[in-house]
Amino acid sequence: MRHLTTAVALAAFSLTVPLTAQAQDEGPIQQVIEARHGFFTMLSRNMGVLAGMAKGDIAYDEAAATTAAANIEALTHYDLPGLFIEGSDSQTASADDSAAKPEIWQNMDDFRTKFQGLAEAASGASEAVKGGQESVGPVVGKLGQACKACHDDYREKS
Amino acid sequence: MPRTERPVRKIRLWDPLLRGFHWLLAVSVIAAWCLGRFGPDKMTLHFWCGYVVTGLLIFRLIWGFVGPAPARFSSFLRGPGAVADYARGMFLREPSHWPGHNPLGALSVIAMLAALAAQVSSGLISDPDDYINVGPLASYVSAATRSKAVGWHETGANVILVLVLLHLAVILFYRFWKREDLVGPMLTGEKAIRDRDGH
Repeated sequence: MRHLTTAVALAAFSLTVPLTAQAQDEGPIQQVIEARHGFFTMLSRNMGVLAGMAKGDIAYDEAAATTAAANIEALTHYDLPGLFIEGSDSQTASADDSAAKPEIWQNMDDFRTKFQGLAEAASGASEAVKGGQESVGPVVGKLGQACKACHDDYREKS
Repeated sequence: MPRTERPVRKIRLWDPLLRGFHWLLAVSVIAAWCLGRFGPDKMTLHFWCGYVVTGLLIFRLIWGFVGPAPARFSSFLRGPGAVADYARGMFLREPSHWPGHNPLGALSVIAMLAALAAQVSSGLISDPDDYINVGPLASYVSAATRSKAVGWHETGANVILVLVLLHLAVILFYRFWKREDLVGPMLTGEKAIRDRDGH
């Protein structure tokens, strides 16, 4: 029993070593990937509020809708394409956690245009969602189209 | 017994429901495919086409067990020997006069039905993360699965394109090489056939 405990402890310890080493060795590629995931998590939390209200899953609340829409507007002012540095695509070994297709780097101008499309869809959203549940749907529709336009070409489906 | 000794006769081969199924399926699959690739970002119509295809597939599955003989899986699913026998005579420049799905064509039927069943399944659980299109069953699977399903659905669309093009190419091959019209019978139900052993 004691041997087993020691073996388990050793096994657990040997697992932590590479993890710690990786964390200390966190280069810019890992950083931009984490930043991108953080960006999209924030985007999706706020989109989730608006989409939920549009569908009726969440009760409409003007203040909450305005905040979510304002957050999305603010996020689209961030230079997201700037986080897509060379070598941080899904095909590069060190970026195995990413869903960013290499096509982004082959079409960086188009990628930026697509992100600009999201900014345009988000522009004025915090005002547009005011006045009742029925005003949320069109905003989600516009934003969703911008999401899809970019996902279709540049997001890994796996 | 040599095949040529049997007389060719015209029979009512495909029943009206099977023909209706075939042409509705053709229309809804083509519409779903084009809407998926070229249609509007809000994919409501694509979804409806998918539901129609789902209903048609369920009908075909039931019809394969309780429908008239030419529609039944048990009448046209044959072993590898029968498939090889048929394939050997396939390039003869004469009509097959086959009474229904021939053993090789049956494989194509099953491939198309299976590919479409897989396609509607992946579509139903897909979530492309755009907040406007989400498969109605996506919430029942894990986040990783509903994201992967979008990729499977794309691959499936390519597989279906290949199967449909093969289907059309073989129909043209029968029409111009074997001088046998397969489209007419699917419209009118009537086909010139030759009775075979065991049928």
